[in-house]
Amino acid sequence: MDFTLDSHQEAVLEAVRTLLSRHGGPARLHDLGGDEPGYDHDLDKRLAEAGFLDIAEPRSACRLDAALVLETLSGALASSAAGWRLLVLPTLDVDVEGPVALVAESHSGPARFAADADALVVIGDDRVRLVRPDRRIPRVRSRLGWPVGEVSGLPEGGVIDEAPAAEVRAWARVALATEMVGAMQFALDITVRHVSDRRQFDRAIGSFQAVQHGLAECSVAVEGARWLALEAAFTGAASTAAAALTQASEASKLIFRRTHQYHGAMGFTREYDLHLSTLRLLALRSEAESLGRPAAACAHEHWGI
Amino acid sequence: MEFDWTEEDLSYRSELRDFLAEELPGRWEGATAVLGSADNAEYSRRFAGLLAEKGWLTPHWPTEWGGTGATPWMLAVLGEELWSRGEPRGPQYMNVNWIGPSIMAHGTPEQCQRYLPPIAAGDVIWCQGFSEPEAGTDLASLRTRAVLDGDDYVVNGSKIWTSYGDIADHCYLLVRTDAQAERHLGISVLLMAMDSPGLVVRPIPGMVGEHSFTELFLTDVRIPVANRLGPENEGWSVVREALSFERVGAPRWARAAHVLDETVRDAMEQGRSIDPVTVEAVGVAKTACEAARMLCYRVIDERARDLPPSPHANVARVAMVQAERLVADACAALQGNEIMRYGSDSDLQMRKSLAAGVAAGTYEVQLNLVSRRHLRLPKN
Repeated sequence: MDFTLDSHQEAVLEAVRTLLSRHGGPARLHDLGGDEPGYDHDLDKRLAEAGFLDIAEPRSACRLDAALVLETLSGALASSAAGWRLLVLPTLDVDVEGPVALVAESHSGPARFAADADALVVIGDDRVRLVRPDRRIPRVRSRLGWPVGEVSGLPEGGVIDEAPAAEVRAWARVALATEMVGAMQFALDITVRHVSDRRQFDRAIGSFQAVQHGLAECSVAVEGARWLALEAAFTGAASTAAAALTQASEASKLIFRRTHQYHGAMGFTREYDLHLSTLRLLALRSEAESLGRPAAACAHEHWGI
Repeated sequence: MEFDWTEEDLSYRSELRDFLAEELPGRWEGATAVLGSADNAEYSRRFAGLLAEKGWLTPHWPTEWGGTGATPWMLAVLGEELWSRGEPRGPQYMNVNWIGPSIMAHGTPEQCQRYLPPIAAGDVIWCQGFSEPEAGTDLASLRTRAVLDGDDYVVNGSKIWTSYGDIADHCYLLVRTDAQAERHLGISVLLMAMDSPGLVVRPIPGMVGEHSFTELFLTDVRIPVANRLGPENEGWSVVREALSFERVGAPRWARAAHVLDETVRDAMEQGRSIDPVTVEAVGVAKTACEAARMLCYRVIDERARDLPPSPHANVARVAMVQAERLVADACAALQGNEIMRYGSDSDLQMRKSLAAGVAAGTYEVQLNLVSRRHLRLPKN
């Protein structure tokens, strides 16, 4: 057990942060359209050139470093499908150049990245397909901070030989949990700054115990999600993946309500960055649900119920 | 960063499990409804003796005092395995985890010689004389007064919520030795024999079941100056250090996870169908236990590296209380009307989850510490 970054992990994350300081962050997301952004192909290109997108070896059981990179990307509000590439594609023996989207087999309707993806990973009960749409998937107007496409009537075929559907689903859960952690930390940090600076009744509003307790519970929830997600990325265990996503989903509800509440009307404005992270959580949670209710999956993985 | 157990830790855990499977009667958990009662204290005395023989009662102590040089991770494994089975060490738990280490750190050679070997042998029961009727969460406002008279302190006052007060041999007692000083600065620690004249112990019937509480009334109790632990008036820092020794406290999450597991398995064995809403509650409760586990491990990792205590311990404690409560909800949902049966899993878990947010520092105090030390939110 070692909860600290080793020197290699430290160096990788430092390099990712340096790249993001120039090509990521809330300012970049604003440039891309804010809560209604386009896909950041430029960022993907730079991440790929630096070798960050294939940091996990194909078929590797441990994808901790990839999860650490993903958490950093998500914390900088990257408009990228790097999560699927970093954590899910290593399970699949496929060759896709550009962005991928990921949906459940039964899914139709909005899905993140679908309009920008070169291929869709489609997870069924016991098979996984890689679908390369023959025409561009139409964009959906969405204002939750992600580029979204409308998935319907996907072509048949593209079944990936011997692709383990349960394993792919587990890694998708790890990716979603990790992305949620990054976004939640962004929302929490900006809220802690706000309540420390904002004064009412001649005192910082963050000195009121009601606010302190509310944020302390948020922080505990996010920390729990972070360490479960990292553990799941380390072991690849389906049970831990389901627990990590359950924790992240539950935490995201708390984070959404409380960070907005403590910002007052300031939190509604598009000039301010809070909504860029909080709205994203709603999309991540709905994608999590589309893979099966996380808490039910957790109970199922542990007891078969 | 990595989250593997070492071979050594894994084999230690499996050796412990074999021992516990043999030593503890089937569902020991069910027998702990009255843990803290005289019956279970006797059991725990015998059990602690067995552990001591195997070197597992005080494995983390220095070899000089009967330790075996166990790592913090092995100690964590020991705590998990024992707590998940209802903590059969009973009151010995606090002896070995902080009273003993506190005596080691601040005791005179005579005090160490006198008090440590019986703890290491599992022969002795201690209680802690901390809370008072007017000093609970605000412990530093305690008023029990100790006045020097020759070679003795003469102590007057009362203590409350003292677990095991009726069966303990000694008490780790906090008293005020300087009534004029700023309140944190006038406190001392005295090691009091529980058969001291002038001490009256009154049991307080409780509904929690985990401990039977007592109240201690001290009237002109004479405690030798030689029984003071650490310097006079510096008891506050002595006790703070003692309580930070464990950092994260008892691994309550392990017990909660075990209760949840047993309750789910019972429901499955009895062929009861579990509705989707209950399945979700079970998944959420299991998740909370898992999150608390990782947050506790982070603290143990810090201890293993000899880092100073950090607010991560408070984060872990909040998560443990939440886990206990969510497990109580899940057990109630799983067992339905069985909660009406005294001693059922859901009945016991409801009672224990009540204590979880109060014992050893309230949930709200932990949240205060998380917000100030971890999030660095401003003070008023």
